[in-house]
Amino acid sequence: MSPGPLLLVAFLGLTAGTAGCRRMRFWLVATLTGCASGLAAGAWALIAGPVWDWEPGVALGGQSVHLRLDAISAFFLVLLALLGGAGSLYASEYWADRAHPASAPPGRVWWNALLGFMALVLMSANGLHFLMAWELFAVCAYFLITRERHKREVRAAGWLYLAASHTGTLCLFAFFTSLASRTGSWELGPLRDRPDLAPLFWLALFGFGVKAGLFPLHVWLPSAHANAPSHVSAILSGVAIKMGIYGLVRFSGWLPVPEAGGWVVAGLGVASAVLGVAFALGQHDLKRLLAYHSVENIGIILIGLGFALIAAARGDAAWGCLALAGGLLHVWNHGLFKGLLFLGAGSVLHATGTREMSQLGGLWRAMPRTALLFGLGAAAISGLPPLNGFVSEWLVYLGLFEAASSRGPAAWAAVPAAILLGMTGALALACFVKVCGVVFLGLPRSAAAQRAHECGPSMRAAMMLLAAACVAIGLAPVLFWPLVIRTVAAWRPEWNAAAPSVPLTTLGIVHVALALMAALAVAVLGWLVRRNGLARAVTWDCGYAAPSARMQYTAGSFAGIITGWFAWILRPRTHAQPVVGLFPKRASLDQHTPETVLEDVVEPAGSMVMRLSTAVRRLQHGRMSAYILYLLAGVAALALLAVWGGAR
Amino acid sequence: MTDTVNLFIGLAMGLNLMALASSRIPSIIRIEAAQGMVLGVLPLLLEGEPSALVIAVAAAVVGVKGFLIPSLLRRAMRAAHIDREAAPRLGFVPSLLLGAAATVGALALGLALPLMPEHARLLLVPGSFATIICGLILLMSRTKAITQVCGFLMLENGIYLFGLLLLGSTPLLVEAGILLDLTVAVFVIGIIVDRIQRSFDSLDTRMLTELRE
Amino acid sequence: MSHGLDVLARLAFWLVLAPLVPGIINKVKAWVAGRRGPPLFQLYFDLAKLWRKGVVLSTAVSPGHVAGPAIAWVALMSAALLLPLGPAGAILSFRGDALLFVYLLALARFCTAGAALDTGSAFEGMGAAREVSYAILSEAAVITALLTLAVQTGSLSLGAMLAPAAGPGAAVLAAGLFVVLLAENCRVPFDDPNTHLELTMVHEVMVLDHSGPPLAVILHGASVKLLLFATLLVQAALPLGQWPAGPAAGLLVISLLGVAVGVGLVESLLARLAFQRVPLLLTTAFILCLFALLTSWKASTSSEARQGAMNPAECRCSGTRAAHSAALPGESGGKRA
Repeated sequence: MSPGPLLLVAFLGLTAGTAGCRRMRFWLVATLTGCASGLAAGAWALIAGPVWDWEPGVALGGQSVHLRLDAISAFFLVLLALLGGAGSLYASEYWADRAHPASAPPGRVWWNALLGFMALVLMSANGLHFLMAWELFAVCAYFLITRERHKREVRAAGWLYLAASHTGTLCLFAFFTSLASRTGSWELGPLRDRPDLAPLFWLALFGFGVKAGLFPLHVWLPSAHANAPSHVSAILSGVAIKMGIYGLVRFSGWLPVPEAGGWVVAGLGVASAVLGVAFALGQHDLKRLLAYHSVENIGIILIGLGFALIAAARGDAAWGCLALAGGLLHVWNHGLFKGLLFLGAGSVLHATGTREMSQLGGLWRAMPRTALLFGLGAAAISGLPPLNGFVSEWLVYLGLFEAASSRGPAAWAAVPAAILLGMTGALALACFVKVCGVVFLGLPRSAAAQRAHECGPSMRAAMMLLAAACVAIGLAPVLFWPLVIRTVAAWRPEWNAAAPSVPLTTLGIVHVALALMAALAVAVLGWLVRRNGLARAVTWDCGYAAPSARMQYTAGSFAGIITGWFAWILRPRTHAQPVVGLFPKRASLDQHTPETVLEDVVEPAGSMVMRLSTAVRRLQHGRMSAYILYLLAGVAALALLAVWGGAR
Repeated sequence: MTDTVNLFIGLAMGLNLMALASSRIPSIIRIEAAQGMVLGVLPLLLEGEPSALVIAVAAAVVGVKGFLIPSLLRRAMRAAHIDREAAPRLGFVPSLLLGAAATVGALALGLALPLMPEHARLLLVPGSFATIICGLILLMSRTKAITQVCGFLMLENGIYLFGLLLLGSTPLLVEAGILLDLTVAVFVIGIIVDRIQRSFDSLDTRMLTELRE
Repeated sequence: MSHGLDVLARLAFWLVLAPLVPGIINKVKAWVAGRRGPPLFQLYFDLAKLWRKGVVLSTAVSPGHVAGPAIAWVALMSAALLLPLGPAGAILSFRGDALLFVYLLALARFCTAGAALDTGSAFEGMGAAREVSYAILSEAAVITALLTLAVQTGSLSLGAMLAPAAGPGAAVLAAGLFVVLLAENCRVPFDDPNTHLELTMVHEVMVLDHSGPPLAVILHGASVKLLLFATLLVQAALPLGQWPAGPAAGLLVISLLGVAVGVGLVESLLARLAFQRVPLLLTTAFILCLFALLTSWKASTSSEARQGAMNPAECRCSGTRAAHSAALPGESGGKRA
């Protein structure tokens, strides 16, 4: 028995779904079958252990096909299959044929192709095929992002995504070709005894970093995730950006890493974590805000990976193992709760037609289940016990605290990282209090929010699946620990013996006790409230006579204190028409937090390139005689070069 | 012994940060006076059995930095009718954080430098670096002339701390010279402050760029 | 059986004694102002009365408005139970419980702030915004304090971290934690628990719309939080775990009283800070904790260096730095073994 047959079923399921994309039910059943068997294959490979290696002897592009499913691949494959299944279920209702007759069936094709090519990226053991699968999955994601092509901002987001993605792919081209030329083969595998390959790590860091969306390279991420259909946002944020993490984990495990690699990764991780959440606080578009939180969580994952690299360089397995385990578990956790949150945001969008938080409010009345599930996801992403986000952040903290106690150079890095990670947690909490409060609590701020309706059973089921996974990892972390530790061992086999004993059983018991006590306390207090008698009145308003829903605290005001602290990088733009005179005319305030890196770095650089190229274009004027002159000058230059080279 | 000296230097480093965090000019002056006095008694602690010269210099330093210069500064402040640094170039929280970072950096540098064994356990070198950098931060980030004088005082304290390293080999002549210069400088600035205030009605040094011709 | 009794005794400690702390603070304030002040047990009377009272809920609120205080109270009580109590140690101690402690406080904050936003009131939104914003800075300070204790003791469980002497940085750490205590519990100079102007408050404004048993739960939870930070502060500063049980318990009680009196004095003698100045004070608290960390670091490296210098094999002229770097692996190896 091996995962082979299961993967074959998964492949057949996805292909059949593609073929039958016109019939929604058939597509759903086929895709779900595919995802389920993919999940089973991943889980099997992760639990049972042996590496599945498959070489059918078929050549593609001159290279023989070689697939391999080891613990690291399987770890990411499980997440892909789970989120793929949830997303398919959700999409069957959210992007239904009735509402989107033209774009739904092709969307399903791209969806299945996206899942399939991501799985291929995870399993390719050949550099050329890795690159092909990588490029194809990026293109599928582009077509999924631009489902609503008639909207201008969707097209802009799609182009930006495509451009950024190709910049990254360019680096990966360089990475894989130089790897192949230095090793003489496209086959990928452990090569850690070749120190001359270490500099290639920087190419990989840039290429995979663009896909992962780490801080200065995240420019494409917010608009792409905000403008894609919500199930696509969920898979992009939950899995697609993790492909970048997969690449980094994979190749930092197989190839030697330069001395400074770990420090740089950890530093980028800290920057992504803090600045990602700071940018999130400045947003007033629900999905854009969630997208910036992906940057934050990628940062947390990279802190774990970075410190694992530092530990590996210093031979300090004990805390390196903890940091990497925390980072890897956070890959799963982030996929689960961010998927849940994006699906919840999709339900809100579906019910109200807007992502603008200043138009929402009081949605718990119309959509109580979505509100509850979103609140659960929010608590999980804020790292609150007893949910899964806390478990992985706790592991990362343990690694950082141990590193701080180790008193080497690593301690100097671990102290600021731990402090900033703590601040990130508090910032994320502030941000999600804001989101939950402004979107779901209080009173509706617009007619659209008033007319909202609960989403249907398939969408709810998809969210409940992810929420259940969040709760499961939170309450029984010890069940998932062996899988994580097996992945860590696949990354650095020599760390296998040093696997730390972590009191996850105790933590799980405390979490269960906490959940039970909380439920009991809520029940008792609810009973007491009913027993003592309950009256209703308006919210206390200092006696003001005509309160209205528009007087509620807005998202912008809630985050105002914190965005003020980060104004040096957020550079919020304010257009205000202040209140003047005794009988003021219309007054207004409009605040907007731009994407600083994009608008202040990338765009000026781009326009400079454009100006330069425009200047060069003057050489292209259509006069034949001048072209011959160019030709002659070129040949003369080459000749000179040859003579000069020959003289040397 | 070492612990007491380190405690005093630690106090001086704490006072650096307090100066960076405070917005009222009288309290900055008070902090600088306290720092001068704390550092003034250090030679007594460093020498097991202080000679008459060391005692005299310590007394002079305490007298000048703890009483003379602060009283001069207070006079200038009163003459200029200001007691607040209203609009610093760099906010108080960022300058405090910068100062703390500088202090941490100085400590790290102290660990990394190849110091004499008898100095390695003392905080003299890190304390001196931290005080000098905090003084420079104060100078860069504040706009009022009196606060800038306080920055110079802090800078001088840092140099003085560094000078204590050579306590055994050099007489305190250099320090005495610097102290004299500083006192004269404070006198001069006190007079200038008075003049500026009379002619421009403001003590903002940013305005002084118009005098460059 | 004895374990069960232990748990019950601790529950009783936190349940029964916590509301005494605000009473003491108010007494001190009254004494400084020359008034007689409310009875020491005023909060107990208030709680008993609120427990029996009916509830008035805003028409805007969701069921979360009642669930929030309940969950927050459970989180605070769980955090309190994780703390060791002087010579008695903690009920449950495991590696990394210090971080669970911090995040339980965060859970309580999430619930309280969420319940405040539930009413749709602009005032309560303002209070919630301030609460979560200031918490960012105080969380940085708390994490730094925990790092200090972890570096000092080489342990990650509160029971072991708080037991030994806090070393030379204890006073600095205590000062930092005291500021955090004032900020987290919304006391003067961060917030004035006496004021009745909604615009100026943090915690009190968040609970404006609560009434009856939920308000009782919130008030009790707030007093638990106060006692919890006081206990943390006292044990971080004093080596209670190394004393014999009797004196240690006495000292714990006396120093808790001392902290309460200190809060009362601060409240009587200081005015509330302007809101723009709050970050500066919290940053100061963070820097105090950071310096405590550096002090403990320096102390532990120099003690190692001294050990290294005492080693006869070590050459005297090799300098402290070489001795220190040579001492490091030996020290860590010894600890692992």
